[in-house]
Amino acid sequence: MSDAQAQLLVMFIKAAAIYGGLLGCAALMTLAERKFSAWMQYRIGPNRVGPWGLLQPLADGVKFIFKEEVTPDGASPWIFRLAPLMAAVPAMLTVAVVPIGGEFQLFGVTTQLSITNLDIGALYVLAIGGLGVYGVILGGWASNSKYSLLGGLRASAQMISYELALILGILSIVAISGSLDLLQIVEGQKGTFLGFLPDWNLFKQPLAFVLFVVATFAETNRHPFDFAECEPELVGGFHTEYSSMKFALFFLGEYCAMIVMACLTVTLFLGGHAVPYWADAPWWIEAGAFSAKAGFFLFLFIWVRWTLPRFRFDQLMHLGWKVFLPLSLFNLFVTGAVISL
Amino acid sequence: MVIVKRKILSLWERLYLPEVLRGLSITFRKMFEPRVTRQYPEEGLPTDGVTRGQPRLVVKDDGNIACVSCGLCEAACPAYAITIDGQETDRFIEREPERFDIDMLRCILCGFCEEACPKDAIYMSNELELADYTREALAYDMEKLKRPASAMRERMDYVKKINDRW
Amino acid sequence: MSQSEAKDSGARDTAMVTITINGREVEADPSKPLIAACHAEGEEVPHYCYHPGLSPVGSCRICQVGVQQGQMPPRVMAACRTPVAEGMVVDTEAPKAHDARRECLEFLLKNHPLDCPICDKAGECTLQDYSFDEGQGEGRSVEPRRKLDKRKSLGDVIVLDQERCILCSRCVRFFEEVPETPQLCIGERGSHSVVETFMNRPLTGNYQGNLADICPVGALTLKEFRFQARVWNLHKVASTCAGCSRGCAVTTEVLRKHEVKRFRPRHEPAVNGYWMCDTGRFALEAPNREHRLCGGILRGGSGQAQPVDTRTALEVARDMLIVHGEALIVASPFLTVEEGRELLALGKTLGARPVFLSPEPNDLTDDLLHTGDPCPNRRGLSELGFDALPVEEVLETLPSYESALLVGERLIDMLGAKNLATLPTALRVVLLECHYVDSPSIDVAVGIPNHVEREGTWVNVDGHAGRIAIARPTPEGVWMATRTIDTLHELLTMSAPGADAPGSATPGAIPSTPGAEATLG
Ligand code: SF4
Ligand code: SF4
Ligand code: SF4
Ligand code: FES
Repeated sequence: MSDAQAQLLVMFIKAAAIYGGLLGCAALMTLAERKFSAWMQYRIGPNRVGPWGLLQPLADGVKFIFKEEVTPDGASPWIFRLAPLMAAVPAMLTVAVVPIGGEFQLFGVTTQLSITNLDIGALYVLAIGGLGVYGVILGGWASNSKYSLLGGLRASAQMISYELALILGILSIVAISGSLDLLQIVEGQKGTFLGFLPDWNLFKQPLAFVLFVVATFAETNRHPFDFAECEPELVGGFHTEYSSMKFALFFLGEYCAMIVMACLTVTLFLGGHAVPYWADAPWWIEAGAFSAKAGFFLFLFIWVRWTLPRFRFDQLMHLGWKVFLPLSLFNLFVTGAVISL
Repeated sequence: MVIVKRKILSLWERLYLPEVLRGLSITFRKMFEPRVTRQYPEEGLPTDGVTRGQPRLVVKDDGNIACVSCGLCEAACPAYAITIDGQETDRFIEREPERFDIDMLRCILCGFCEEACPKDAIYMSNELELADYTREALAYDMEKLKRPASAMRERMDYVKKINDRW
Repeated sequence: MSQSEAKDSGARDTAMVTITINGREVEADPSKPLIAACHAEGEEVPHYCYHPGLSPVGSCRICQVGVQQGQMPPRVMAACRTPVAEGMVVDTEAPKAHDARRECLEFLLKNHPLDCPICDKAGECTLQDYSFDEGQGEGRSVEPRRKLDKRKSLGDVIVLDQERCILCSRCVRFFEEVPETPQLCIGERGSHSVVETFMNRPLTGNYQGNLADICPVGALTLKEFRFQARVWNLHKVASTCAGCSRGCAVTTEVLRKHEVKRFRPRHEPAVNGYWMCDTGRFALEAPNREHRLCGGILRGGSGQAQPVDTRTALEVARDMLIVHGEALIVASPFLTVEEGRELLALGKTLGARPVFLSPEPNDLTDDLLHTGDPCPNRRGLSELGFDALPVEEVLETLPSYESALLVGERLIDMLGAKNLATLPTALRVVLLECHYVDSPSIDVAVGIPNHVEREGTWVNVDGHAGRIAIARPTPEGVWMATRTIDTLHELLTMSAPGADAPGSATPGAIPSTPGAEATLG
């Protein structure tokens, strides 16, 4: 096997593994969401399909496929069909640059456990991730329904507002690690801080961390910021008119976005795949560490959803523009000042 | 009119995050408490005399139902679920139903029929499940409505008890 | 007209007197008992043995009211046996009278079984009503009730439940006074009294059914109606009996919008008083007959009967009647005046001769009600201008016409299905009937409603107009008879421009009906 062939093969294997993992994870998230919510409410949750209900996502998939596809009268047919894709695909693309584990050898090729490694990984993530909102807006608009339209509009307003906090948060990380390359950012978090803490950006940028995590909730349209759906007011928001697999795609997009956001948080603030106090851990331990950290944030998404009530939309906007934006700017300013000193 | 004054929040409360964490800790702890879910089809619903399930005709020990097709349950039924036709019988009661239908899809389980019956012939059973493939199959005729007194004993005793109160 | 009416308004002093009932001064007829005056005033006075169509005997004592006359102190008297007299002051709710009635009721209920759940009278039983009003739920008697025969057959019509009888003797008096063939009596004595027939002979006569109506409780009930329906489930409309040309006022009582369960007499002083005969009462077979003709049936060139809708059938009928112009119109004697009028107009357009079928009188005639003539609207149709033609004559003359239009219910019965099936094939027949008969000469048949599904006027033998009323919906696809005839007429007029305007054939006045709009309260 020539070197180029091996490289290609490794590339394929990595892509398959990571995307398989992502989709599997998204499926499991739907189950986890219901299981955890059930436990928090003294219930059992799905337990009929497979052991402990593990095959429930599969059953849901089958159900979604066999559901009737409904396209409302007056819906804009192509955009209506395009929107679910627009929502799902960008979320899946962004995961390509997240470094999940360290270097390892396969077929004589030394490689990283990430599909690719861009110099401008952080920028890529923001650019592609920002496209996801189009799916929601177009879906809401193309449905020809007032609920969908309102849901779509809210989603766009919300995403624009919180993208600012998100970007400013990333900027302060970029500022202290001096690179847009996610791998570099991870590398910069190996070692220890103040002698006993792992050298995670979490400890150097606590304010940025809090702002970033809250902003991810808004970015992924999750509780308590899920104003794009908001059942009591908008029936189902942007996906009111969607059914069958199209609806499933929206869902897939939402869960993929959550996973990506969790990965990003881990990469930026929790040292990515770096294992604390063990600088040269094997790649699979690193991958495990990464998964554990990301898993916690995924759990946090669910945990918060079943704990907090939904805000009002004006409160959301107030928080975004009058609290988060100034705080983020302040944080960036202080960071810059400290670095330049 | 009651005027509720908005509580003045302290800075700690207004930070919101500590309260969020407190809420999260509550839900987290709840995850480990015992479950109350009832595994329904395997674990049946608990019923006793108070349960007002679907109305059934009680078959007495001699194998007959007590109904004389007086039509009082038919008249009392607010959902027009009951249809009765009478006929003559050689038994002492002279009159018995030739046809006794209750459309279970119309029945709202109100129990008025049980209350109206002068012959203690119809009682609310503890049967709550109702499913079939056609509407016709759910319009029960007399044979489908008959239940032995042993199966209805609990409800019959309960009704007797509350009636004795007056 | 009935004999009881004649008796009531006997040749006594007819000058009105003034009495006071519950504080109101009213005029009262002294030939009638006090209870009638009270009822006319709208005062509720319960009564069991008193019946306005029978002579009063005062045996049940439930009608007691307080009466003050002259300087005498107020007394409690049976209102049905007290003639009204000038200056009487009556208080129907005097406490003493009320107590007396309560006590009476308690005695009546002493031996009356708690049978309401199985009793056919329940719902229209005055004993039940009054017990309910008085609300004395529990008996005080410790002795057992009488045990008697609960299913005693009294002939073909009536079944007697001796336990339920309150010995009011209405039934006994009915036979004595109305058909004047005494058959029932109260046998034994004291608390052993029962109603019975002499030597247990079955009851006879054509008026036995009335016993079930007049018995105030469920002691006498109809075998025909036994356990057939609960009376509160019956939909009742005021109508007219189709049994004979007397046209007794009846109520038609229909169960679940479908089956006619009873005909019962309705009070109509000018025709039947309170009674009706058993022939009319039990004429349930014809209105309930199955296999109705719904829509139309065409018999095309293939000879196959083919169902179509009413309008199509009428269009074919029009084409046929135009081609075969010389027609005979045979109306059924069950047609109403309104339908007859439409048909006559149609006949005029067509230039056809209108006759109505007049079957032989039967031998049921008596000097009470039944006329023996089975044509309920003979007089109405005659006055409109239809000729009465006996069945044989119709069958004889029919072949001399090119076509025939047969209109109305029971024509098949009266003409005979066999006779219709063997009509000459050259004759073209349009049949408007409730049922269908297969015959090579019947080209078009159109379903019409029968007499419990139509409304209109029948004029009885004395010229009294009785209304028939819609008691249940027509079968699916069947048009009202007037609409069917009218539409056919319209179709004919459209294709025959020179024809007269419809309606010009209406003959002289039809007697107007004072109670024509009467419905059941
Ligand atoms: S329970 Fe109520 S609704 Fe049902 S049959 Fe009896 S009276 Fe009718
Ligand atoms: S009320 Fe009782 S006795 Fe009367 S018809 Fe209904 S079940 Fe039969
Ligand atoms: S059978 Fe009826 S009408 Fe005759 S006496 Fe008895 S209660 Fe009166
Ligand atoms: S009604 Fe007067 S005594 Fe019977």
